[in-house]
Amino acid sequence: MSGDLLVPIRADADVLLARQKARELAKSLRFSASELTLIATAISEVARNIVAYAKQGEILLRLVTQGRRRGIRVVAQDQGPGIADISRAMQDGYSTSSSLGLGLPGSRRLMDEFDIVSELGKGTRITMTKWER
Amino acid sequence: MAEQETAAVGIDQAGGRIEISQQELDLRKRFLELGEDDVGRLTGINDLARRYANGVIDDFYRHLMSFGETRGFFADPQVLARVKNMQKEYFLRLTQGNYDLDYVRDRLRIGAIHERVQLPVKSYLGMYNFYLRAVAQRLADAFKKKPDDGWAAFLSLMKLTFLDIGIAIDTYIESRERTIRTQQEAFQELPTPVLPFREGMLIVPIIGIIDSQRARQLTEQLLSSIRSNRAKMVVIDITGVQSIDSKVANHIVQTVEAARLMGARVIIAGISPEIAQTMVTLGIDLARVLTVGDLQSGIERAEQMLGYTVTRSGAAEAVGG
Amino acid sequence: MRASILKQGTVLIASVQGSMTDADLAQMRDELVANVRRYRSTGVIIDVTLLDVMDSFAARTLRGIAQMIKLLGATAIIVGIQPEVAFSMVQLGLTLEGINTALDLEEGLALLKPPGIAVHER
Repeated sequence: MSGDLLVPIRADADVLLARQKARELAKSLRFSASELTLIATAISEVARNIVAYAKQGEILLRLVTQGRRRGIRVVAQDQGPGIADISRAMQDGYSTSSSLGLGLPGSRRLMDEFDIVSELGKGTRITMTKWER
Repeated sequence: MAEQETAAVGIDQAGGRIEISQQELDLRKRFLELGEDDVGRLTGINDLARRYANGVIDDFYRHLMSFGETRGFFADPQVLARVKNMQKEYFLRLTQGNYDLDYVRDRLRIGAIHERVQLPVKSYLGMYNFYLRAVAQRLADAFKKKPDDGWAAFLSLMKLTFLDIGIAIDTYIESRERTIRTQQEAFQELPTPVLPFREGMLIVPIIGIIDSQRARQLTEQLLSSIRSNRAKMVVIDITGVQSIDSKVANHIVQTVEAARLMGARVIIAGISPEIAQTMVTLGIDLARVLTVGDLQSGIERAEQMLGYTVTRSGAAEAVGG
Repeated sequence: MRASILKQGTVLIASVQGSMTDADLAQMRDELVANVRRYRSTGVIIDVTLLDVMDSFAARTLRGIAQMIKLLGATAIIVGIQPEVAFSMVQLGLTLEGINTALDLEEGLALLKPPGIAVHER
């Protein structure tokens, strides 16, 4: 288990960087091209939220193991305004065509594990993990 | 080694595993009403058992060898000798007391051997049947003066042999179930074929059970094929699918949408009334999904949309000579 | 990294690079709009073959560009969405509903030829 790879998120260029770093890190695991794209897309979604709402934060990337399987863990955290109603934010009509929301339910669908902690005025931390199949 | 203390575990040749815990063993004994009195009676006839062991075994195998089917198992004299010896040990163990986890472990091990040589259950049961009758006779002779004791001893023996039979049959069942599981897994891992059919068309026949995992595999495969075959029409045939759950139904809709993003149109053919009902109940927006009753219609529709016209050029040719 | 916009007759072709920033996309949008006007183009193909991730932001942006092009009287077609990207998009619920799509540049151009687009628009 390696340490965290930290990508500071402040602008959209950082979103690209975080995606790239994640791909590089995940390449050492047995993920399909689709799965790598799912991971990069989930990171893109949460990183953009940081840029849009918290102005700044960070993405932490780490390879993890659980018994015999390996995976990649992504933590997106910020000291932004926080989310007022997490359960609302996690709700989902099947299609998110209005897309004014945070894209959180979508990100959850893309990853295997998804956890969110948020406190108004304090910040938000999202932890997502994808495991090798 | 904690496991050794709390359960008896048998591993068969194929890695199948059966576990009988102390709790389970106690339960089985209670169910058979096999208690300390029985243990006492069984150890009480141990000497007698040692005396009649060889006789019973020889009679037993004489009986066995008179059957073509079972004879085959013991064609090799070395094998026969070894098996007879093992059998003697096996039967002697019945009257040695200590019917604990070690006893079960031993029985499981032997069960695995039987399973490995593929001894049919009926043969196994037949053996036990012969043994019990042979012993009954000898017990009757030995307890002529105290027939009630003889009878009680026999009943105790019967309880114990049923404990054995239960364990042996469990081994057989686990092995069968394991085979079924392995086959099911293998079947599930079969990739769904994505068949190019005419330029620009793909047919995807789905057969059998389709679960979330398979649906996802299918989608990835299909999208990849759309690119490599430059397909504009895809016919997914679900004639062979009995039912789907909401997850799979959603996967299908997702597949249709993903294909569209790649410029391909999907036709779902062969929706059974049951699946149609499921989709309606789930509120799946069928307006965005083109559906037809059967594969032929699906293919014709796809050809039409691709601009093909299929015409018949006259009488069909005779087949054969 | 800027988008390159090519002109082929009455069709404009814009290629989106994977590493385009939001500013780059905005610039591409503005250039497309200007060029549709200047050349009275009837079709615009936006090629996203090199886009490795389509998140909700990118989808919204593309949708906006396509809508603007439509308002200018031209047909917009998005081409080159890769299998993995298409897969992720539908997981996220991004269907690009109402926007024309085609497999690649070749197919996109074929769609724009007369008799014109008769498919896919919903």
